[in-house]
Amino acid sequence: MAEESILSIRSLQKSFDSLTVLQDISLSVERGNVISVIGPSGSGKSTLLRCATFLETADGGDILYDGQYALRDGVYAPKAELSRFRTRFGLVFQNFQLFPHYSVMKNVTEAPVLHGEDREEVRERGLELLKKMGLEGKENAYPYQLSGGQQQRVAIARALAMRPEILFFDEPTSALDPELTGEVLKVIRQLAEEKMTMVVVTHEMPFARAVSNRVIFMAGGVIVEQGDPLQVFDDPQEERTRQFLRVFER
Amino acid sequence: MSLLTMIVKMSEGLGKTCAIFFLTLLFALPLGMIVALLRMSKIKVVSAVTRFFITILRGTPLMLQLLAVTYGPYYLFGTTVARNKLVPVVIAFAINYAAYFAEIYRGGIESISVGQYEAAEVLGYTKLQTFLRIILPQVVKRIMPSVTNEVVTLVKDTSMAFTVSYQEMFTIGKQIANSQTSFMPFVVAGVFYYVFNAVVDYVMGRIEKRLDYYR
Repeated sequence: MAEESILSIRSLQKSFDSLTVLQDISLSVERGNVISVIGPSGSGKSTLLRCATFLETADGGDILYDGQYALRDGVYAPKAELSRFRTRFGLVFQNFQLFPHYSVMKNVTEAPVLHGEDREEVRERGLELLKKMGLEGKENAYPYQLSGGQQQRVAIARALAMRPEILFFDEPTSALDPELTGEVLKVIRQLAEEKMTMVVVTHEMPFARAVSNRVIFMAGGVIVEQGDPLQVFDDPQEERTRQFLRVFER
Repeated sequence: MSLLTMIVKMSEGLGKTCAIFFLTLLFALPLGMIVALLRMSKIKVVSAVTRFFITILRGTPLMLQLLAVTYGPYYLFGTTVARNKLVPVVIAFAINYAAYFAEIYRGGIESISVGQYEAAEVLGYTKLQTFLRIILPQVVKRIMPSVTNEVVTLVKDTSMAFTVSYQEMFTIGKQIANSQTSFMPFVVAGVFYYVFNAVVDYVMGRIEKRLDYYR
């Protein structure tokens, strides 16, 4: 039986003025899989995530969630439909983007409450998620009182509180020092074990290798190579991939 | 005239001074937000026109604007805005201060990172929810020092109403000074403004402190 694709992207195109940042990108994400996207800066990894989450407008191609078109041949679905698609995914930013004037709890629970969910139910879910993120007892803290690693874990809880089918991470540890990176990667790993569907743009190669079901290597706005992590890391087929990975062999 | 009499007579104008002050804030604070949003409009004509009006309001003396609103309608249409002079005075003050507040608001709004909007968007906040719940509270905190500055200036600017002979505290003081050929009324006015602003400082300080629960 074919695996069910939560997200399919086909021939995605994106340019900023005359600069092409995404060229003919196609990929699909199956339920329960973890996809890591690696590649040098400016390769289009983040733009790909931003297109998938509608923060950036693609110029051409298709984006489908659960087989339904959000973008078809460069034309977006109506606004109301896009809002419905938004409830299917969550996004974790490089620099957390917590709301500084909200307590940890409110950061996590406000969005679902605004979507009409029961306040008490959401609160319980929030407490559970925070516990899972190792943030028990931090409900009433404000973001500035937390370390970067804790803030990022709040951001993950906030995304999960919306119960997304797929979670995107845009370099979730790039703003953290190595010690804090570990604690964030640990919770992502834990989510992977629970079969959360995730797409992770990352520079953490050992993590990508250990946790992903598939690794995508991007450079210059195209997918140069993709496949099983062991194959991509240990036996890359493309010279560009080898060149990139050599930097990490030190 | 004894000093006490001067103080008593001038105090009678304090109600009007306060009226200008509070009514100006009441209208200028929200009006400034509307002006700021128009100024940031994506529709080029709207933002250009708004910008033009802001340059006029900030580029010409408040005193002139007071005269224009109070007496302008008489010369143009043979009528006045209202019998009570408080009306044109507050209109002029409110419009003038709205222009300044608008620029403060704009600075505050533009200082919030795009990421905050994006985080809210991905979480499904509507544009209005994003502005009211996420952006505005942070803007308020950031602009408090600048707003305090304007409010302190407003206290002193109320004296400008003397140009249209509105009988607020300073106008009365000036009249006493003229009739008694005494400088004392100005000293009294100075003390009044100083005390008024001490209160303003205290209140604004309290508000800033209340917003201190996050960084």
